Amino acid sequence: MSQKVTRRQFLNYSLMGVGSFMAAGMILPMGRFALDPLFKESSAGDMIATSVKVDDITEEPVSVDFTYEQKDGWYVSEVTDFAWVYRDGDKIIALSPVCKHLGCTVSWASDANNPDRFFCPCHNGLYEKSGENVPGTPPRGPLDMYEVGESDGFLTIGAIKENELV
Amino acid sequence: MLNRIYDWIDDRIDITPIWRDVADHEVPEHVNPAYHFSAFVYCFGGLTFFITLIQILSGMFLTMYYVPDVVNAWNSVYFLQQDVAAGVIVRGMHHWGASLVVVMMFLHTLRVFFTGAYKAPRELNWVVGVLLFAVMLGLAFTGYLLPWDMKALFATKVGLDIAGSVPFIGEWILTLLAGDSTIIGAQTLTRFFAIHVFFLPAALFILMAIHFILIRRQGISGPL
Amino acid sequence: MKHGKGLTFVGDSRVQKYDKPKLNRDYSEFPGRTEEFYPDFLLKEWIAGAVFLVGFLCLTVAHPAPLERMADPTDTGYIPLPDWYFLFLYQILKYTYASGPFNIVGAIIIPGIAFGALLLAPWLDAKKERHWKKRPVATGVMLLSVGIIFYTTWESVAYHDWDQTHQQGQIVFSNLDAEDPVFNDLIRTNCTSCHGGELAGGSGPNLIEPELPPEMVESFVRNGSGEMPSFEGQLTDEEITKISEYVAGLEEVSKDEATNIKK
Repeated sequence: MSQKVTRRQFLNYSLMGVGSFMAAGMILPMGRFALDPLFKESSAGDMIATSVKVDDITEEPVSVDFTYEQKDGWYVSEVTDFAWVYRDGDKIIALSPVCKHLGCTVSWASDANNPDRFFCPCHNGLYEKSGENVPGTPPRGPLDMYEVGESDGFLTIGAIKENELV
Repeated sequence: MLNRIYDWIDDRIDITPIWRDVADHEVPEHVNPAYHFSAFVYCFGGLTFFITLIQILSGMFLTMYYVPDVVNAWNSVYFLQQDVAAGVIVRGMHHWGASLVVVMMFLHTLRVFFTGAYKAPRELNWVVGVLLFAVMLGLAFTGYLLPWDMKALFATKVGLDIAGSVPFIGEWILTLLAGDSTIIGAQTLTRFFAIHVFFLPAALFILMAIHFILIRRQGISGPL
Repeated sequence: MKHGKGLTFVGDSRVQKYDKPKLNRDYSEFPGRTEEFYPDFLLKEWIAGAVFLVGFLCLTVAHPAPLERMADPTDTGYIPLPDWYFLFLYQILKYTYASGPFNIVGAIIIPGIAFGALLLAPWLDAKKERHWKKRPVATGVMLLSVGIIFYTTWESVAYHDWDQTHQQGQIVFSNLDAEDPVFNDLIRTNCTSCHGGELAGGSGPNLIEPELPPEMVESFVRNGSGEMPSFEGQLTDEEITKISEYVAGLEEVSKDEATNIKK
């Protein structure tokens, strides 16, 4: 090393080093503590059994309830949601009823002028049967859908995901 | 007697310079409504500070009854408003004060803007002021959720949806604010409480201190 | 105690000891009539503050801070509204070119530009001229922004259904038992999205207040009414009867009774 480090520089560097160590020692645990939700898997995941037989599902969407325990950190509560379920060929489709505009609840064929569409009464949002939002109505995207499965002939409903039909 | 006490303290710790810094300065004619009534526009900053003081005090007292917990939060607010003497007034001060502080700050910002008071050499104080504005809006947004009633929950849902629509990092912001990527619930409430009562007020105090020190140091801007 | 350079200190502290100069005010820097801040001007400020405080306290007594019923995340019929000072942003998000596929424009770009411009105003408008009339661009942009904020806030308020907003959040204590299977299995899926999570009203009317006989409720459920669709065919006769009896039995009770039922 050709450059000489003066005593003052050396002390300054030492101060910076020790200072950074102390700052890091305090902030790291606290930062990880605050950022924890980013690294946690969301609680949804298990398949929830419903009381509807898969064979009974027709091409006409019906609302199917499912109740599950929602774990919000330390707070556990029982939540009942429902999905619009219908048969498409040999596939079962379960759509979330939550409108993509402001989160109201859509219902099937409740608007007399649109007998084959989902309708949101809040701001007249419309969706096709596949969940695709009708252009020109307020929603920002298609309805979400649930994973579906079968257990002993009964329908099971899993995690919510983006619409794959559109 | 009071003078003797003052002198006794002053002999030991020399508070006169501090005191003169705070109180012993002149107020020029152009900001004095007694001479030009239109100078009342210079009051908005002071009123913002006054309401902020009311907010700090009423907020401190509200936490004597309030609990940030999804089961009890609403009940504690209902109780302090219905059953506690003067609860209506204390919560009313905090609720309406939140609206008024936004109004006063808005007017103060417009006054500073239209009198060109943010120009050299006062740029830094303007920046601090704009940051204060942002902190205040953050306080308003986080405080709105705390009563845990219907409008609070659903307004926060909309607000978090907007935060979540930021490209690339939206999901992270949403999860960090809400404490969970899908649920707005118990963890959201405690997070908002911590931000509203500790983090943002800390930022607010620091920025306010800088704001006032800079005003004293630079003096008020001259007449147009 | 004396230290070097002839300074005198109080005891062994670092506070300097000196003859305090008489307060010597020199107010010649500013032209015109200046005034002492303390006590002259401060008193005027405090009088203004006292007047303001009286008005403020009157406001808090005359209008208690609103509190709606307890948050219920499962109540999907509730139409949200942010506090009034965020309404302009909320309204901007409804415009075609700031929503749907252009959501990023309304949610990020417009507020970002506005905040950034405000923050950097001293450098965007760096000329020395201070009078607002002599810097038309800065003044114009600010007036335009304020105008947009006022207009969008007004628009949001004018187009909002306030009757529903007032009804949907009302605190109603009723004998509604959320654990009842009729409520859980039938009402939660068919009724609450319009009539509110506790049936106290939403986009549809309050079901607790009116004292309807079961037959009347049944005819509403079967035939619909106004915007309410008919549930004939969607629900079995037995289900309709159960719902009707449940809804007809609802009534308002005191807060304590309501808490007992919930437990």
